[in-house]
Amino acid sequence: MAELTEKNINKGLTILENFKDSKLLTNLNSCVHCGLCAESCVYYLTFKEPYFVPAKKVDLISSIYKRYFTFIGKYVPFLANTKEINDETAKEMVDLFFGACTMCGRCNLHCSIGIDIAYLVRTGRMMLAQMNLIPASIQSTVDSSIKTGNNMGITTEEFVDTIKWLEDELQDEMNDKHARIPLNDSNVNILYTLNPREPKFFPLSISAMAKIFYAAKESWTISTKMYDVTNYGFFTGNVDEATVISKRLYEEVINLDAKELILAECGHGSRAFRWEAPNYLKKEFDFDSNTSVELIAEYIKTGRIKVDKTKLKLRVTLHDPCNLVRNGGILKEQRYILDQVVSEFVEMTPHGIDNYCCGGGGGQLAMSEYNERRMKIGERKAEQIRNTNAKIVVTPCHNCVDQLMQLNSFYKLNVQIKTLAEIVADAIIID
Amino acid sequence: MALLEIEGKAFEVDGDGFLSTPEIWNDEVAKLFAKYDGIEEMSDKHWVIVKYIRKNFEEKGNAPMIRSICQETGVKLREIYELFPLGPARGACRVAGLPKPDGCV
Amino acid sequence: MSWFILISKISFALCFAFCIYTLFRIISLGKPKDYAKTKGDINSSIKYSYTGGMSPVKKESAYLHLPTYIAGILYHLGTFLSLILFFLNVLGINLTNYLIIPIAVFLIISGICGVSILIKRIFKSELNSLSNVDDYISNVIVNVFQFVTIYYLFYLTPTYFVISAVLFLYLPIGKLKHAIYFFAARFHLGFFYGKRGVWPPQN
Repeated sequence: MAELTEKNINKGLTILENFKDSKLLTNLNSCVHCGLCAESCVYYLTFKEPYFVPAKKVDLISSIYKRYFTFIGKYVPFLANTKEINDETAKEMVDLFFGACTMCGRCNLHCSIGIDIAYLVRTGRMMLAQMNLIPASIQSTVDSSIKTGNNMGITTEEFVDTIKWLEDELQDEMNDKHARIPLNDSNVNILYTLNPREPKFFPLSISAMAKIFYAAKESWTISTKMYDVTNYGFFTGNVDEATVISKRLYEEVINLDAKELILAECGHGSRAFRWEAPNYLKKEFDFDSNTSVELIAEYIKTGRIKVDKTKLKLRVTLHDPCNLVRNGGILKEQRYILDQVVSEFVEMTPHGIDNYCCGGGGGQLAMSEYNERRMKIGERKAEQIRNTNAKIVVTPCHNCVDQLMQLNSFYKLNVQIKTLAEIVADAIIID
Repeated sequence: MALLEIEGKAFEVDGDGFLSTPEIWNDEVAKLFAKYDGIEEMSDKHWVIVKYIRKNFEEKGNAPMIRSICQETGVKLREIYELFPLGPARGACRVAGLPKPDGCV
Repeated sequence: MSWFILISKISFALCFAFCIYTLFRIISLGKPKDYAKTKGDINSSIKYSYTGGMSPVKKESAYLHLPTYIAGILYHLGTFLSLILFFLNVLGINLTNYLIIPIAVFLIISGICGVSILIKRIFKSELNSLSNVDDYISNVIVNVFQFVTIYYLFYLTPTYFVISAVLFLYLPIGKLKHAIYFFAARFHLGFFYGKRGVWPPQN
C-alpha cells in the first residue's frame, strides 16, 4: 500500500468538501444505524459478521466526514465515534470500499431511510483514488485502457485479424460472401462496441451480434480505434481516468458520424457510458446510447429479425446484471427477448430489481486479493441457479458471465452460461 | 499471495490461483493445475493448446488471442471451451502458468 | 412565564432555526445536475419514493424484520404525538379528559417500543458494533421525552419542559437530524431511480 501522506489525506478529503449538490450531504447525514440493511447484502448474508453490514460502509465514510467537517466531530468527537484518516482507517477503507462491496445497490432499495449506499461506497473509492490507494490489481486494468485503448492491451493488428477471422466464419455460416463485420465505416446507423474479453478469449458473442446485424440488414460498424465498452475508471473512482476513457468513445461516435451508439452486453460499461459519461464530460450527448439488449428487443418486436423459439428445448433462466437492471432500468427487454427465443424460460427467485449480485460486480473480478470472498458470496447465486433446474443461464453482461462460469465450475452446477446475443443468434431464421 | 496445495505440492499463487512465479512452470505443474480444475487427464488437444499459450507467453510476454490459439493449434473454438470449462483465460492460461490477464476475466 | 417554559421555548426556537437552516442548505445545494438523457419519469419516481417505495411489502428492512419495523413505526408515531402535545402545552391548550387515557396508553406502548429498540441495540452484535454514543443518547432522550410526556398528562412538572429543552438542543448535534435528512434521502433515491426508469416499478 502506498504511503499515506498529509498531502494525500487532504486530497482525499476534498471529495467530502465542496458539495456539488445536496446528494452527498444528505447521504452522509441520514443513516440512523438501524442495521436492517444487513440481510439485503450478499456479503452479510454469506459471512454473518457485523463487519459486512452495509451500514458499516456508510458509517466509515460518515465518521470521516463528521471528524473533519462537523460540529460534533470538532468539539465532541467521542459522541459519534468520528474517525481520523490514518493508516488504520485507510486500510479499513480499502478493504470495505474495494474488497467488501460490489456496488450492486441492493441495500439502497431496501434501506429503511433510502440512503444510496453504493453511491457512498463509490465516493469512498473516489477518496482512495485521490489518496493514491487504489488496489494495484484493478488499477492495472485502467492503465491498460489508458495506454493501449482497451483494457486487455490488444494490438490493432491482433484485433483486425480476429475480426477478419470472425468475418470469414460468418460468411461460411451465412453462405454469403457479402456478409461483413464492418470496421471503421463512417456515417452508419450504429457504432457497436465490445468488451475486450470478446476478441481476446470469447468471440462467440461477436459472431452472434454480427449474425443479428446481418439478419436485420443493419448499417453498422466497429471502430478499431475505440471499441472497448468497459470503463474501469468507474470502479476505481479515478474520475480523471474515467473521463479520458469516456471521452475517447464519445469522440469516436462523433468522428465516425454514427447515429447511435450501441453498448455491448457489459453491465458496468453500459452504465459508465449511458449514465456517467455525460456527467464526466459535463455535456448532453447529441446521439443516443442504448444497449444491445434494447436493440435486439426492438428488432424482434418490429420484425426486423425473425426467430424460432422451438429450436432450443432446454430450460433457460436469466441472471439480471445489477448495473443494467437495478441501476439502468432495463428489465422487460431481456424477458421479452427470452420469451421469443426459447421454449422454456424460468425466473430465479428473487429477480429483476431485487436480484442478487453474481458476486463479481464492482470490479471484484479484477481484484484477485478478494477472490475467496467473491467465490463465497457467489454461493447464493449458485443456489438460485440450482433451484431453477435450468440447463442454460443467460445474462447480458460479460463480467457476470465470467463470474457465473466460475460459480458453475466451483459449485458444480453443470449449466451453460451464455450472453443474450448468443441465444438470439441460435434462434434466428434467415430467409 | 496465497498457497495452493495440489496432491501434496504447494505453489505460490495469486488470489485467483494463477502462478506467482511463472518461471517455475513445467509439464508437471500443468498436469496438477489441470487436475485442480477437474481435468483428470490432459489429452493431446489440451497439451497443444497449453504449449502454444506458453510459447506465446515466453516470446511475447502475454496470452495469445483466441484466434491464434484456434488457427495455430487447429482446435475448433467451441471445443476449446469444452476442453477448458473455465475458458481460455482462467482455464488454459492458468494451466499454462501465466499470470492472470487484465480485464473481465 | 416560568423559567422552565421559557427555556423550552428558546430551545425549540433554536432547534427550529437549525431545521430551517438545514432545509435551506439542502434546497440551495439543489438536486444533482445530471447530463444523461432521462429514461423514466422523475416526478412519478419521487412520488413513489415517498409512498409505494416505503411500503413494508417492498422493503426487506420492513418485511424481513416485522417486529423491529412495527416497533420503529410506533416509536416514531409516539415521538410525533409527544411533539404535538408539547406545542399544545406551550400554547396552553388543554386536552379533554377523554383523550388523555388513550394518548397515555399509546405513549406507553410507543415508549416500550423505544426501549425494546434500545435493548436490541445493546445486545445484538451487528447493531452494537455499529452503534456510537450518539445512538444511545438519542434513543434515551426521545424515550425519556415520551415518558415524561405521559407523566405530564396527569401531573404538571417543570421536568417536562427541561427534558423537552434537552431534546431540542440535542437534535442539531446528533443523528436526530435525520428528521430532516430522511426526506432529502427519499428525494434523491426517487430522483436517481426515476432518471433511469427503475422506479416506479415496471410490472
